[in-house]
Amino acid sequence: MKAPASLQGRLLLLVLGMVAGVWLVTAVVTWVDVRRELDELLDGHLAQAAALLVVQQVHDIEDDDDGVDTPSLHRYAPKVAFQVFHKGRLALRSANAPAAPMVADGERFKSGFRTLTIDGLTWRVFAAQGAKRNVQVYVGEQTDSRAAILWAVLRGTLWPMLAALPLLALAAWWAVRSGVAPLRRLARTLAERQPQALHPVVVAGAPAEMTPMLDSLNALFGRIAGLMDAERRFTADAAHELRTPIAAIRAQAQVALAESDDALRRHALEATLAGCDRATRLVEQLLTLSRLEEGATTPTGPVDLSALTRREVAEAAPRALEQQQTIELDAAAPCPVQGDATLLAVLVRNLVDNAVRYSPQGARIRVAAARHGGGVRLRVEDSGPGLAEADLARLGERFFRVIGSGQSGSGLGWSIVRRIAAAHQAKVGVARSSELGGLAVTVDWPG
Amino acid sequence: MRILLAEDDPLLGDGLRAGLRQLGFVVDWVRDGQAAERELRGQPYAAAVLDLGLPLMDGMDVLAAVRRAGITLPVLVLTARDAVPERIRGLDLGADDYVIKPVDLNELAARLRALVRRSHGQPQETLRAQGVVLDPAARSVLQDGDSVALATREFDLLHALMLNAGRVLSREQLEQHLYSWGQEVDSNAIEVHIHHLRRKLGSELIQTVRGVGYLVPREQPGKPAPR
Repeated sequence: MKAPASLQGRLLLLVLGMVAGVWLVTAVVTWVDVRRELDELLDGHLAQAAALLVVQQVHDIEDDDDGVDTPSLHRYAPKVAFQVFHKGRLALRSANAPAAPMVADGERFKSGFRTLTIDGLTWRVFAAQGAKRNVQVYVGEQTDSRAAILWAVLRGTLWPMLAALPLLALAAWWAVRSGVAPLRRLARTLAERQPQALHPVVVAGAPAEMTPMLDSLNALFGRIAGLMDAERRFTADAAHELRTPIAAIRAQAQVALAESDDALRRHALEATLAGCDRATRLVEQLLTLSRLEEGATTPTGPVDLSALTRREVAEAAPRALEQQQTIELDAAAPCPVQGDATLLAVLVRNLVDNAVRYSPQGARIRVAAARHGGGVRLRVEDSGPGLAEADLARLGERFFRVIGSGQSGSGLGWSIVRRIAAAHQAKVGVARSSELGGLAVTVDWPG
Repeated sequence: MRILLAEDDPLLGDGLRAGLRQLGFVVDWVRDGQAAERELRGQPYAAAVLDLGLPLMDGMDVLAAVRRAGITLPVLVLTARDAVPERIRGLDLGADDYVIKPVDLNELAARLRALVRRSHGQPQETLRAQGVVLDPAARSVLQDGDSVALATREFDLLHALMLNAGRVLSREQLEQHLYSWGQEVDSNAIEVHIHHLRRKLGSELIQTVRGVGYLVPREQPGKPAPR
């Protein structure tokens, strides 16, 4: 059988099925019980009647008329018969009793209960003997009368039940319907929502059973809202971040166009190119980030972080020197880590770049790669202004730039550093440098 | 016309400074908000171009601080923050114009000229005094319909005097209008320029107030007094 698609229908079917089942069991139990009680009662009556007949032992039992006319006083009377034999001879019988003893063929039973068939009718017979054993009494009763009584009793109980069934079905339907009403309300609420609506669903009078579902649903909505928000912010911020390099390119190009002095025009053209390079770098960072967000890359092989750091610091050094910054490197011993060399280079470059970029002129920058507690630690410190607690917490949000940090950073570097570290199971820590006073960033690869 | 440019991006700042100089502005460039506030409090700039995402002090804060200090110079906010609430906030904080990057240099210059003109109560794009017509956009001067060739400094000096027509400007004030920081100014440079201007335009236009400075009398006494 195919399960009904509707919860309401299923509940209704279940409730009504159970009710019907319980009724059936009740009926069967009643049937068995009533029949036993009825048998007991009627058997008792048979025995009682037999006893009466035995005790009576009528004086004129010698009268040879065996057809004593007994009045039929009750509607059940024709179904009850008795025989009294005196010294083997039929002395007394009811009108509906046969002349032969009410025993089964070939059986001679003198006392007790028997159920037997005589002339196609089923009888319940009780046999009893007088004290002198010359009186034999049979009292019989057609069993269909018992069945009739049983039916009457069962009818008495079953009819109201049957009559109540439609009412019960109606009541159950109503109960189930109002029980699942919160579900319907939820469905309606969801159907009426705008597709882009992501505010929490509120269902008035939601039962406790629905709370986990609603909570999960609302948590899901919350996550989606967060994702969409981040996505929107990313797009807006990406556009925003590209505005400044483009503005610079435009301004420099315009200056170059209008400039008559060769040296100045050359300067403007070079600045235009530098602006293009910066926009390119920004776009590359955006792409790196979006690629990193597509899925974590798996480490591909052993990389010497020391050598890699040396390369990146050497690359950043000219920029630091331009700003009269001192850049120190401590990465003498090889520090092997598992990973993707290209991505790790991006990570180191971003950290060193950030330190150079966000530290003022004349600042000190110290980069160290060393074995640390079984693993490898990369540490980039500077003597720059550092970060406030609130800014430390927000670091790593895409495009989050510390307001007033100066420089043309996009705020993407941090996101990239965190993503790459996560892909390599490395931990990024940000704190205040105890020695240099600025920002101290540590990246730890477990051993 | 001397303006302050507050922009932290090196490339953009350099480009804007060079471009505005080409268009006849005297440009001082600062790269952080604190310097911007300091300069705006200390120097008589004709206008300021203010980026919002400045180091050390946000552009909005600079604007608010400057306005609180009662400095009324026209401020053009040049920013990548294009959200409408940001624009509204900028204008409410006292920005006179709000321009989203990237911007055309000529447009930026035109907006600055318009701001300066309006701040001096000049609704027209040209300045007039005693038959002399000065067009800041074209950087041209006509006297009785004839073009007069002026050197850059001479033009700037005349521009300053005509903008402030009816007001006496001291030699120091004129120097501040004409030269950005670090430029060597000869002690008699202003006198020399005035001399040249008088030779080219006649001695009537620019009057000397002994011991105080110079002025170009207002064209029509009925006009609202500039500042």
